[in-house]
Amino acid sequence: MAMSKEELKAAILDKAMKSPKPQLYVKDFYACDPDAKPRDVKNAANDLVKEGKMTFWSSGSTTMYAAKGRAKDEESRGT
Amino acid sequence: MSKHDTPMMDDLEKGPWPSFVSDLKRQAAKSPQCWDILGQMEQSYKDKITHWKHGGIVGVFGYGGGIVGRYSDLPDKFPGVAHFHTVRLNQPSSKFYTTEILRKLCDLWEKRGSGMTNFHGSTGDLVLLGTKTDELEPLFYDLTHDLNWDLGGSGSNLRTPANCIGKSRCEWACYDTDAVCYAMTMKYQDEIHRPAFPYKFKFKFSGCPNDCVAAIARSDLAVIGTWRDAIRINQAEVKNYISGANKPNGGAHSKGSKFDIQKEVISLCPTGCMWMEGDTLKIDDAECTRCMHCLNVMPKALRPGTDQGATIMMGAKAPILDGAQLATMIYPFIKLDAENEFEGLVEIIEKVWDWWMENGKNRERLGETMQRISLPVFLRVLEVEPIPQHVKEPRSNPYVFWREEEVEGGWERDVKEFRKRNAM
Ligand code: HEM
Ligand code: HEM
Ligand code: SF4
Ligand code: SF4
Repeated sequence: MAMSKEELKAAILDKAMKSPKPQLYVKDFYACDPDAKPRDVKNAANDLVKEGKMTFWSSGSTTMYAAKGRAKDEESRGT
Repeated sequence: MSKHDTPMMDDLEKGPWPSFVSDLKRQAAKSPQCWDILGQMEQSYKDKITHWKHGGIVGVFGYGGGIVGRYSDLPDKFPGVAHFHTVRLNQPSSKFYTTEILRKLCDLWEKRGSGMTNFHGSTGDLVLLGTKTDELEPLFYDLTHDLNWDLGGSGSNLRTPANCIGKSRCEWACYDTDAVCYAMTMKYQDEIHRPAFPYKFKFKFSGCPNDCVAAIARSDLAVIGTWRDAIRINQAEVKNYISGANKPNGGAHSKGSKFDIQKEVISLCPTGCMWMEGDTLKIDDAECTRCMHCLNVMPKALRPGTDQGATIMMGAKAPILDGAQLATMIYPFIKLDAENEFEGLVEIIEKVWDWWMENGKNRERLGETMQRISLPVFLRVLEVEPIPQHVKEPRSNPYVFWREEEVEGGWERDVKEFRKRNAM
């Protein structure tokens, strides 16, 4: 049985906060609920961004996700 | 921000061709940050290393694409380019603009950014080059409210779809590329603006095999117009080409010598399926690969057939390590019908997305996933029956692996029974 959307979002956010790497690929969240469709996981992660709990981190060619405040920005990373 | 000493940049103004250095200097009168671009480039030429850093969390609220963060690693020396973010705008289908909208856009961009543009980036977008983080939200507000213009895709999103001019101008178009590109752009807004995939995904739409948007080389899913029936031949116009009354290629490559249909058309047909019977041109359409050569040379005499649609090809990519790879033909022919909202195409797109989202690795383009799992497996995933046209060359892999359910009686055999007939 797949989790409810709210349960899935909580699991994703938990993983984003606890994972040693601050930035994660959308695929890294598939394991949060092996029964969920990839598209549902993607939508849940994007919802968390809309709610301001996570941020996108984009290299320009790939996009990753991070819990708010955990993503390294080029600007603050310094030279 | 003022002029730097840039001897190596200045050198690039000396040729007979237009120079981006001259353009930047001219724009610097209005946008002084352009001096810092020239200064930083000069520095990079000296140091033989880029001073741009790219990527980050910049964007506009609610969107996960369309803005690519870019920063100088020498912000103290070149403060004008300390932030220099790129903005991608969804270009109109076929890139038809009114001068009015272009003027408005230029005014807005000089107010909110460097004034520098790129018409157009490789993906197809109109690219605005260089602005600060603080300007992004106001720019986006004006773009969407005053200009009714939206951002394009970047990152792991569906990238801005692009098409050739198709039926709006071109008599070879076998389907309405503008209509399909527009319909897919509107249908997949969420995938364009928010990341959806393991990596980028591109659609491109060409109306015929001339493939003017280079869909075959540049898109994960290429929709290329074609026809199923016979090339339409106007024999009277064929005679006019032979007599010289019609100029081959519309006169484009003419060297003044007399047109030789045997040398310039029939002998160049890659499948050797054309010949003359007296003064009548014959084509064995079953052998024709729709290469477009004969139609391009004699457009008044030859036209695509009337049973028109598209070939779907997948998996083009240009990764740095293995080199470029063209798309592989997957669906030889589908009909594209606006009446049913291009249902057949939508079904194919969603089938391949669902599978790729699950099976593609991070930062792996569809073409690489296809290579990794092999074409036979990919065809099985899409439930496409293999046909000879799927085979690139005979015998490069002569082995066909049957699956147990395809073999009568499965894998289990009575060895003793067999040995009675075939002693060891
Ligand atoms: C100059 C010498 C040779 C040339 C140019 C040559 C060329 C070829 C070619 C073109 C094929 C067909 C491959 C295919 O169907 O894809 C073939 C098959 C074969 N050749 Fe040779 N060959 C040469 C010498 C030999 C020798 C000396 C042997 C054995 C001692 C040999 C054993 C075989 C075998 C067993 C096959 C059949 C493979 C199969 O299709 O099952 N060949 N050869
Ligand atoms: C340097 C030595 C050898 C060379 C270069 C060689 C080359 C080849 C080639 C080119 C093929 C065809 C593969 C294909 O169908 O694409 C082949 C098949 C075959 N070779 Fe050899 N071979 C060598 C030694 C041997 C030896 C020593 C044996 C047996 C003792 C042998 C038995 C066979 C058999 C039975 C096949 C057919 C396999 C099949 O079609 O399933 N080969 N060999
Ligand atoms: S791809 Fe074909 S239909 Fe499209 S513009 Fe080029 S020649 Fe015309
Ligand atoms: S389109 Fe190409 S393959 Fe077909 S008949 Fe013309 S030249 Fe030959």
